[in-house]
Amino acid sequence: MAEQPSDTAAGPGRVLVGLYGLFAVAAGARAAVQLATDFSAAPVAYLLSAFAAVVYLVATIGLVRGGPGGRRTALIACSVELLGVLVVGTLSLTDRAAFPDATVWSVYGKGYGFVPLVLPVLGLLWLRHQSELAAAEDDEPA
Amino acid sequence: MTTLAVVVTVVAALLAVVGVLSTVAGRRTGQLHLAAAALLEVALLVQAVVAVVGLVGGHRPEETAAFLGYLVGIVLVPVAGVLWARSEPTRWAGTVLVVAAVVVAVMDWRLVQLWNATGG
Repeated sequence: MAEQPSDTAAGPGRVLVGLYGLFAVAAGARAAVQLATDFSAAPVAYLLSAFAAVVYLVATIGLVRGGPGGRRTALIACSVELLGVLVVGTLSLTDRAAFPDATVWSVYGKGYGFVPLVLPVLGLLWLRHQSELAAAEDDEPA
Repeated sequence: MTTLAVVVTVVAALLAVVGVLSTVAGRRTGQLHLAAAALLEVALLVQAVVAVVGLVGGHRPEETAAFLGYLVGIVLVPVAGVLWARSEPTRWAGTVLVVAAVVVAVMDWRLVQLWNATGG
């Protein structure tokens, strides 16, 4: 059975793209509502939601496009995402005053079933796997 | 609303189960998945009609904008899931539907929560 698609949006990648697309929409919608209705209440948290939405969107686009360029784009986005969820997750626990309202990344994405914490790890593993496949193809041209 | 959410959750669980089964069995999705997703969509549309009737009848959730966002968003999820899974020729198509099913279940209970919060 051919289960080794080299494209970043095929096979398990399709599930990842779905999740990233979902989070881009979810974080984007949340940020849009928060920024439009209640910006002054927690500007840092709401701007972070918007930033997270952009990161998810860039990762989605990178994964869908694939190839060396798409993989690099997705790699940067997933790295920023992992860093973001770790930093914001930690800050939201240590400095509650700075985060009066929740973002996607608060408490390591607890409000979203910790998917925001797992997603970048899966993304980075998947990208590494894809890069190895691509490198192997370069070594032995068919 | 809560009764409908239970129905939606059961159907979503059904879709998730057939999705997991096809992934575990290494098979692509088939008629059964399509039928489960269609059933879920019907349940969501019934729920949307009930909600709109309630809104027209004067029920006002406190966060009306968020409620409407969820109401519109949730009916799109099974459609998006089926379209995205359909062109995947591997076992992972089932997992895409599992994600869609879980998202619908989670969103639906949030929807009920928003519906019941009328701000006194």
